[in-house]
Amino acid sequence: MKYIMKIYCTILSKSSIIQIRANNCYTTVAKLDRVSIGHLVKNKEFFMKKSFVIFLLTAIVSISLFAAGQSEGKGAAAEFPTKPIKLVVYTGPGGAGDILSRKFTEIAGKYTDATFVVENKAGAGGIVAMEYVAAKKSDGYTLMYMTKSNISKLVTTDSELDPMTFDWIAQMQIDPEAVITNNKTSVVTWEEVVADAKAKGGDQLWLGPAAGGLDHVTAQAIWKAAGIEAKWVPFSSGGKAKAALLGEQGVTYTGNPGEIIGKPDFSIAAIATAERLPQFPDVPTFKELGLEGLENEVMWRGFAVKAGTSDAIIAWYDDIFEKVTNDPDWIATYAPQGNMLVHKTREEFNKIVQADYDAYKAAKQ
Amino acid sequence: MELLANLFQGFGYLAGVQPIIAIVAGVILGILAGAMPGLSPSMGVALLVPFTYGMSPQIALILLVSIYIAANYGGSITAVTINTPGTPSAVVTSFDGYPLTQQGKAGIGLGISLVSSTVGGIIGTIILIFFSVPLARMAVKLHPAEYFALAIFGLTTVASLGGKNWPKAFLAAMLGLLINTIGIDPISGVKRFTFGTYRLFDGFALIPALIGLFALSEVFTRIEESKLEKDAETKYEKTQWPTLMDYWKLKFTIARSSILGTLIGIFPGAGATIAAFLSYDLAKEFSKEPDTFGKGNPNGVAAAEAANSSSVGGALVPLLALGIPGSASTAVLVGALMIHDLVPGPLLFVERPDIIYSLFAALLIANIVMLGLGLFGARLWVKVTVIPKKILLPAILAISIIGSFSVNYSFFDVATCIGFGIAGWILKKYGYPGAPIVLGMVLGKLAETNFRRAVIMGGYEIFFTRPISLILLILALLSFGIPLYQTSKANKKTKA
Repeated sequence: MKYIMKIYCTILSKSSIIQIRANNCYTTVAKLDRVSIGHLVKNKEFFMKKSFVIFLLTAIVSISLFAAGQSEGKGAAAEFPTKPIKLVVYTGPGGAGDILSRKFTEIAGKYTDATFVVENKAGAGGIVAMEYVAAKKSDGYTLMYMTKSNISKLVTTDSELDPMTFDWIAQMQIDPEAVITNNKTSVVTWEEVVADAKAKGGDQLWLGPAAGGLDHVTAQAIWKAAGIEAKWVPFSSGGKAKAALLGEQGVTYTGNPGEIIGKPDFSIAAIATAERLPQFPDVPTFKELGLEGLENEVMWRGFAVKAGTSDAIIAWYDDIFEKVTNDPDWIATYAPQGNMLVHKTREEFNKIVQADYDAYKAAKQ
Repeated sequence: MELLANLFQGFGYLAGVQPIIAIVAGVILGILAGAMPGLSPSMGVALLVPFTYGMSPQIALILLVSIYIAANYGGSITAVTINTPGTPSAVVTSFDGYPLTQQGKAGIGLGISLVSSTVGGIIGTIILIFFSVPLARMAVKLHPAEYFALAIFGLTTVASLGGKNWPKAFLAAMLGLLINTIGIDPISGVKRFTFGTYRLFDGFALIPALIGLFALSEVFTRIEESKLEKDAETKYEKTQWPTLMDYWKLKFTIARSSILGTLIGIFPGAGATIAAFLSYDLAKEFSKEPDTFGKGNPNGVAAAEAANSSSVGGALVPLLALGIPGSASTAVLVGALMIHDLVPGPLLFVERPDIIYSLFAALLIANIVMLGLGLFGARLWVKVTVIPKKILLPAILAISIIGSFSVNYSFFDVATCIGFGIAGWILKKYGYPGAPIVLGMVLGKLAETNFRRAVIMGGYEIFFTRPISLILLILALLSFGIPLYQTSKANKKTKA
């Protein structure tokens, strides 16, 4: 019996030492263990009676603790990832966000052996996916594709989710908002849009996606800055609103510059950036046209993980996102569409998200 | 004639092993996706998009449109054999297809649905090839007021769907419209009947509801009415297949439905389901024996299938001519094109005619391949009808659950499916048909959003000041009123 006990003691002490190493709290655990072992050794009678079972249990618990401690220690240390990373996309397969995410995983594959698995969680304009990710662990294995419209959705649906449930780790694209017109009509330039709006006295029709979304909010800001009045006609998708613009059912469509590529009937009247875009050198900014406060009306796209993910894991992601941003394939795919390709890391991105959220909240009241 | 030369070249592009494999594989996958309840054509296409990344853009596109075409036909297989429409538009096919199966004429239903699909698909493609530009220009002019009128016109098909049972059909359609009001209001963003759960923000998903109403309710009914252990072994009898003469008799129905289906497919947001409902109604109006519709009239199957398959060609019209997707499936195609750095739109005709014309050629060939594979497959599908109920019913149950789960990988959808199944079963017991509920769910959103959009754009009078809208509304009134008037007259006669 003594012999067996000795073996257990060695296992116990060994395991606790390794466990201690992993957890960096040598003194407490070691003391506890020594007391209990000492206690058991001294009270032989107690030990002989109930003993064996208890002892066995202690050993098992201790060993399993050791195992758990080891794997956790390993994760924090640098060996991330050890299993596939789930990339949650809030649109169905084939949507723009889905394609961007899959392109990202394809390019990221050049720089890491990690496996990314795209998972589509469509529904409720992104709330379904956000709730899904919010319920996951902060272990870095669930990455989510996010855009600014997720923020507006949180506000318009009065969601209880706080945007800071997530750690916004990489902003990758900034797509300026633009006012698009149909150049087969007589209202093409921004001056003509304003003149038409004044002539119609509030009945000018602006087409775009759902009310309360990013494009609608931008349009309202433009009307305010230009001192005009117009009506917002919401469609179920940007595509259907563009079809209506082609059918001359309204005067403008609010969207992004890339949406006119390959469609010669559309022109951009103005864009909401500080400077002209290199891809569209002839398109004036609102600033040039004398409208203030419209230098930064943009749609952004990026990625988030659940808040509380360790710094080491985020550093791993920072590295990947930096490499993808500079990848020629990424640039060749997204630069021609009028996007500004950036890589803003968590410090800056979290601030942008909070500011956007607050602005939507303020706009709602 | 330049067009024909281009088209001829398009066929030239397909002369190779790879394109042919892509078409055949696409058609097979499409038929399977269509037949699987829960996988709609757009999802079938979307699921295959990631596999096309490594392919040349031509092959990728050929594969995807082959799936799209075949999936629209595939939905009819399960609709005819087990009354479980694989796709929303196949609901209409089941009206007459399933009664044919119950009469032991599954072969007739399957044959007619296949041939009508093929002919419809080819007619839709021909219209796409020759008239896409002017038709697309016309389609974008359609005002929300006209969409609303079209939706109302679609809803009036309830009157003829219901027949003598019209008050119950009418109530069922109203139920569908009410179900549609659940979720975030699409115009102003107000939450309606969401009971504080984000899962109801989009309302009930159509596909799980559809599976529940048709497949599960059917399972429940059959379990209720039959004692499974005593169910005699069904012997495999030689199935009757339609003769060439049978097909020839349907020529007008198929032609009419194909043209109507293509035209409706062109309008962004209308789509295959509405096309099928309207064609069915039209076929019934033109028929000399409208009473046989819903009881296994081959014209009903032909109308529905020709319309939903031809709508594929229609849906591609705005995509290719204007770069604007008109349906869920074409929206997925846009994504697939963008992956290959191709931006859909009129410029594609100039910059990459090879892509456009090989696509046209592929559409025509895919329809013919579908006919060949379908004729072979129909010999297999028809055997589904002789599977003993004690095996078939649990299998349908399992497929229904998996199908509804696969829509969004959500158990909420599974619960929706079961809920609608139980509701459908109870409603059926009291003589309320399921199809008008689907019609209400499909058309409700179209009617509501376009009504409100039109009012924002031009006030309430706009519905009567725009000629097309006014004509459609008057037609709606007539097509709703006349059948009702006739049935009430007939009822009085029988009483007197």
